[in-house]
Amino acid sequence: MTMAKSIERYLRFMPVTKPGRMCDRHWSPAADVYRTRDGWLVKVDLAGVSPDELEITIAGPVLVIEGTRRDTSCSETVSYHQVEISYSRFEKSLRFPCPIEGAQIESDYQDGLLLLRLRSPEECE
Amino acid sequence: MNNGQRTTDNGQLTNHMAENITTPATTEAAPQTAAEPFEIAVLPLQNTTLFPGTVVPLAAGRPRSVAAVEAALAGPEKLLACISVRPGKGTEAEATPEEIYGVGTLVMVKRMFRGEDALQIIVQGTERLRVLEWTQTEPHLRARVAVLPPLRTDDQQEVEALQRNVRVLIERALAILPQVPPEVRAAVMGAQEPTQVAYFLASVLNLGVEYEQAMLEAETTDELLRLAHVRLAREVEIMQLSSKIATEAQTEMDKAQRDYVLRQQMKAIQKELGDDDGDDAEANLMRERLAEADLPAEVRTEAERELKRMERLPAAAPDHHVIRSYLEYVLELPWRKASEDRLDLAEARRVLDADHYGLEDIKERILEFLAVVKLRPDSKSPILCFVGPPGVGKTSLGRSIARSLGREFERLSLGGMRDEAELRGHRRTYIGAMPGRIIQSLRRAKVNNPILMLDEIDKLGADFRGDPASALLEILDPQQNNTFRDHYLDLPFDLSKVFFIATANQLGPIPPPLRDRMEIIALAGYSDQEKLHIALQYLVPRQVGENGLRPEQFEITNAAIMLIAERYTREAGVRQLERTIGSVARKAALKIATNDATAVRVDASDIKEFLGAPRFYPEEARKELPAGVSTGMAWTEMGGQILFIEATLLPGGQGLTITGQLGEVMQESARAARSYLWSHASEFGIPPEMFKSYGVHLHVPAGAIPKDGPSAGVAITAALASLMTGRRVSHNTSMTGEITLSGLVFPVGGIKEKVLAAHRAGIRRIILPSRNEADIADIPEEVLKELEIVLVSRISEVLDAALEKLVANPPPPPPAGMDAAARNQPTTQAQPDALRVREP
Repeated sequence: MTMAKSIERYLRFMPVTKPGRMCDRHWSPAADVYRTRDGWLVKVDLAGVSPDELEITIAGPVLVIEGTRRDTSCSETVSYHQVEISYSRFEKSLRFPCPIEGAQIESDYQDGLLLLRLRSPEECE
Repeated sequence: MNNGQRTTDNGQLTNHMAENITTPATTEAAPQTAAEPFEIAVLPLQNTTLFPGTVVPLAAGRPRSVAAVEAALAGPEKLLACISVRPGKGTEAEATPEEIYGVGTLVMVKRMFRGEDALQIIVQGTERLRVLEWTQTEPHLRARVAVLPPLRTDDQQEVEALQRNVRVLIERALAILPQVPPEVRAAVMGAQEPTQVAYFLASVLNLGVEYEQAMLEAETTDELLRLAHVRLAREVEIMQLSSKIATEAQTEMDKAQRDYVLRQQMKAIQKELGDDDGDDAEANLMRERLAEADLPAEVRTEAERELKRMERLPAAAPDHHVIRSYLEYVLELPWRKASEDRLDLAEARRVLDADHYGLEDIKERILEFLAVVKLRPDSKSPILCFVGPPGVGKTSLGRSIARSLGREFERLSLGGMRDEAELRGHRRTYIGAMPGRIIQSLRRAKVNNPILMLDEIDKLGADFRGDPASALLEILDPQQNNTFRDHYLDLPFDLSKVFFIATANQLGPIPPPLRDRMEIIALAGYSDQEKLHIALQYLVPRQVGENGLRPEQFEITNAAIMLIAERYTREAGVRQLERTIGSVARKAALKIATNDATAVRVDASDIKEFLGAPRFYPEEARKELPAGVSTGMAWTEMGGQILFIEATLLPGGQGLTITGQLGEVMQESARAARSYLWSHASEFGIPPEMFKSYGVHLHVPAGAIPKDGPSAGVAITAALASLMTGRRVSHNTSMTGEITLSGLVFPVGGIKEKVLAAHRAGIRRIILPSRNEADIADIPEEVLKELEIVLVSRISEVLDAALEKLVANPPPPPPAGMDAAARNQPTTQAQPDALRVREP
């Protein structure tokens, strides 16, 4: 049985691939989408982003949230020990099952979460 | 610089990336900051190029790299420019701006972790950028850069075509690489944007910095895809080829593995079926036997080594069988097993007497040996050699000795053996190699102290393959044979306990060194009296039994046996006698079976009825001998014989003519006899002129049988003296002995056979050399008492004893004037080499 094992080991054929990964140009925050009685509730994990830096657009059934997160706490005097939060430009597109153009949008920040309430002009069910 | 080296720690990024790719990017909008040129920290990359849209782990260890990363982290967006170093430049030293390409990638630092000696960062490429101006080199590189616009598309159709081709190639590559995670597979296949795919491929394939840089600098989608397609096609080709090679290797291995598995299964099935001859069972059995066997240390070591070798070999290997037979041989040999000697001398004597009549010398020798063994159990066995005519019982004597000692008996015939390997075996390297006959006999005997009879040792051959007699030198030497090495075994075997008995008809052909190693015991032929005893005691009862008769149904008288021995057989032994008695018994059996008689009694007068006319007429003593004829005696392998020497004068002839197939020795003794008589002519009353005037013809019948040897010298002298003097030789006198020119009589051999033959022929007076007196003791008493033995030491005594006083046939007077030309010119022929009468 040891022979079979050694053969297997010998045959293990691993082509070397470089560790590059294909992905988006920008980072994208996590988002929850809820169906409400009169529309949609979108909750986006966007702490530390100034509302001024946010841009929300709607194209057909797609809601796009773009913006930039800037690290305001940085200065020349601090030295970073660990970085896990993504900064710079982000982009989040959310696709809805029905067109949402013309929907009424209410935005609100609550404890670092961006809350978007979409109230559809007509029934969308 | 090693700050460009990527770490391989990418496992945790897989999910992250998959999450990102679910929503295709929309890149129509340039970053807000990209509109105008801006200043940014630059991290030079070595051996690699970073493409937009790829996530790459990097390690920054050198102070300048660390400084660049720190600077990037200090910015609010944590952006950094990663630009490749031109290949072959600035390898270990810090790269200068001239050594760095002009186009790079804007990245954002997504993760940073301070490791022990380097900053581990994970960056994500976002945009391509061009360096406009280097603004700083210390503490880190810094440049003024402009973000490059997205790629143009010149020929939409070409891009479409290239994209499809690339997709096909990627599918092919993914088919070959089974270990690519499914998420990556889905991401690659699902990517819509052609530039995205091209950049991904550029970072995945090992293209080299130069080519990667060219792809990064491509201004149009067409160019980028073309570059990607060319290299991807090549890579896929190589991958297919190496995969094919690997598959072939795998197939081959699979076959070996399959065989192995099947064999194991077969073994298991055999075990289930109870066939216990699997390799292991066999080896285990061997091991058990080896453990039980009583082996000398050296043999055990060797056997264990061979057993280990055998266990390693599959049963199908040809060597497996070879080793197994070898081990079986080693285990079956009686390395230390000896039989117990029966040391009862009286019993031994009884056995020997029961089997053989007479042969006192040999029986005595055997008893002596037994006595020595009784006193000193570890004494060496003797090496005997029985020499004697056929049929005297040499071989059966060996059997009888074995019986008397209570030892095993093995016999091997050396007659005609020409190859040394027959005795000593073949080396194991030869196919079908076997041990030699000696070791084979010991294996059969199952003890290491058998009586080993080497029959017909005088009939060993020798040719280019070797000389078996030389191999026997070692075997028969008590000083060497305790470490006898057979070629096959290649282990020392102790032969010193083996009681060797060789037999031979003649001593002559045995090489002297071999003869020297053995104790020669001569068995003379039997006299008629002895034959009678043997026949009565052994032959008749045996033949009666063999022919289905009961003892009371068949009786043969002594006279009848004597007649058979004398007239129907001619031999020294008793084989022919036994056969002839057997044919008499058969004829008696016929009579009884056909109810012609209930019991048969055979007397001498009935023999003719049973056996027909007598086949042999012994050379009988002539009733009267003319002058010039004497009676000699010869020794042959079949016993003794008398012969007549005839001489006549040839008036006017010259010299000595000799006929009768005489050998050189006999011719010379004839010439010596004549010369002696001539030189002493006056002493014997012979006129010396006789020798000059007359030629002499000497003839010895029977003329067809070659004869040689010196022992007829006395008889020739007597014949010549009789011829010259005219005094007859008395007809009942025969003589033997060698003569010298000075008139002495020397002793000769074969006295017993010669005297017996003479007695048989009716001779009652025998002249022997006085130095043969000791041999008279060999002559049976009943013969001796009928004989008058005259011992002589000089020729004059011979003539006194042999020649009658009366001149019966006076020789013719020598004619005058015939002396000068007389010459001693013997005219003889060379003797052919047919049956030869030899005289020892």
